[in-house]
Amino acid sequence: MTGMDTALSIKGLTKRFGGLTAVDNIDIQFPKGILNAVIGPNGAGKTTLFNLVTGMVPATSGRVMFEGNDLIGRAPHEIVSRGLSRTLQIKSVFGGMSVMDNIRIAVFAHEGISSPFRPARGYRAANDRVEHILEDTGLDRLASSSAGALSYGDVALLEIALALANKPRLLLLDEPICGMSPSETERTVERIVRLAETTDIILIEHDMEVVFAIADLITVMAQGQLLMQGTPNEVAGDSGVQEVYLGTPEDME
Amino acid sequence: MTAQRLKWLGVAAVAAGLGLAPVLLKFFGGLFWINVIAEILIWSLLAASVNLLLGYVGLLSFGQALYFGFGMYGVAIGISQFGLGLWPAFFLGIAAATAMAAVAGAIAVRLTWHYFAIITVVFSLIFYFVAMSAKSITGGDDGLSFSAPPLWKAAGWLLTDRTVQYYFIYLVCAACFTGMAFLIASPLGMRFNAVRDNEQRASLIGINVYYTRWIAFVISGLLAGVGGALFALFGRYASASYMFYHVSGEAVVWAIVGGIGSLLGPLVGTALLILFRELVSGLWENYLIAVGAFVILVVMFAPRGIVGIFSDLVEGRDRRKADARAALRNLAEAE
Repeated sequence: MTGMDTALSIKGLTKRFGGLTAVDNIDIQFPKGILNAVIGPNGAGKTTLFNLVTGMVPATSGRVMFEGNDLIGRAPHEIVSRGLSRTLQIKSVFGGMSVMDNIRIAVFAHEGISSPFRPARGYRAANDRVEHILEDTGLDRLASSSAGALSYGDVALLEIALALANKPRLLLLDEPICGMSPSETERTVERIVRLAETTDIILIEHDMEVVFAIADLITVMAQGQLLMQGTPNEVAGDSGVQEVYLGTPEDME
Repeated sequence: MTAQRLKWLGVAAVAAGLGLAPVLLKFFGGLFWINVIAEILIWSLLAASVNLLLGYVGLLSFGQALYFGFGMYGVAIGISQFGLGLWPAFFLGIAAATAMAAVAGAIAVRLTWHYFAIITVVFSLIFYFVAMSAKSITGGDDGLSFSAPPLWKAAGWLLTDRTVQYYFIYLVCAACFTGMAFLIASPLGMRFNAVRDNEQRASLIGINVYYTRWIAFVISGLLAGVGGALFALFGRYASASYMFYHVSGEAVVWAIVGGIGSLLGPLVGTALLILFRELVSGLWENYLIAVGAFVILVVMFAPRGIVGIFSDLVEGRDRRKADARAALRNLAEAE
């Protein structure tokens, strides 16, 4: 692997929780410049994979190469500052702050601004970026609302906004549209597609309609292992994939 | 916006009132009270150090008296052993407290919740016993007495003049609270809040949670140290008994009653409970029962403390307006 044409390259990655092997010695290449999706039944190890990549869970063994560096063994905040952001399956933001301040602190964190003396509201360049992100994500209508009082769909949107504040070069989205209304889903999916033009994205999603409509390459996981990787058409026609999702014909009878 | 302005008006009123206190008390002939107010101001710094950790970073420390004690001993040892002047001794006390907080914090902030609370108690107990047994340096149980050097020799400013002493304490405390106001409104203050609200999310936007907590712990130790240094100069005395975790616990109570997460909450709580003690303890020796009942009521019905009740009143109107506006906009969008 040259590493130039892959957004993320995973080699021999394993995670054991006691006797359970959640991620079992997998090798995956996620190509650059396309929208990647990861699917698989519950318990396939998708979220654990994201947790390993972002340093939130220590790996048992293996390597995760991002822009030529191994991410394994690094703290989450270090990985984020290298340009890899993620959203969480269980959405959460800074509930005690306004939506605008949520984004402001994320912009500060990205820019490394941590002065104890200057008023936080006085950074013009940061303010401009906050405004821009608010408009870009459609959260400007809620800018001064408390983030703790948002609907679940808006929290999910704010999570994406926080990730974008980091100007990520690779964005991992863990079920980004879960809990959204149909109209919110439509708008968010549009945004993700637009985002994918400039940012590499790897998406975990259970909504198959969405995945097959927008993903360029689908990675299928089952029981902690890589089952296959292919275009939506290849995956839809694969008997192995049908088997893990629907069971074998014998099971069904 | 109006809520913010009203709050700052309140802060300014408190500052002005305290600044005029000696003049007013002299006028009414009750200058005795000036020392009570000075003591309240000093202890409010210890409560403020609890507040910085609990209210802004979400860490409950039961060991802030340790840094208060280091501030005291820094001053007392600086003056009585090294023969330092008032200001060098004052800064020695603050430096000693801050350095101790830097060391203890590096270990303590690896933990959170009750583990953090326990380790802060452990640190303060260790040094309490060290100070108790190192009699030759600390005076142990008896403490260290000294006579305070002049504040400013040329101007003839001495701490023995109660008014001079009061203004010295008042200005130092005002500087501390001003610094804290700037800190809270700064990007670093926002980092503190982010770590308090959601540690995991904070690390996922690139914040080093451990380092952020450590910085807060050191600043909080500095605040307690300033309080201790002032208290040593105020009493011309330092004693290990002020490092006991009982003292830390009292500061936690002051901060909670006054209102954690607000700038002046600790000052209000400290003032209220010290005044209560001054007025009632002479008449009723079990007055702490009343204090306990009061604390329980506050925790149950006003978790943001006394200052929290006022800010809820002031902010409520603004927030209702903003929420209504947002709801309308949402409706319009859904149409």
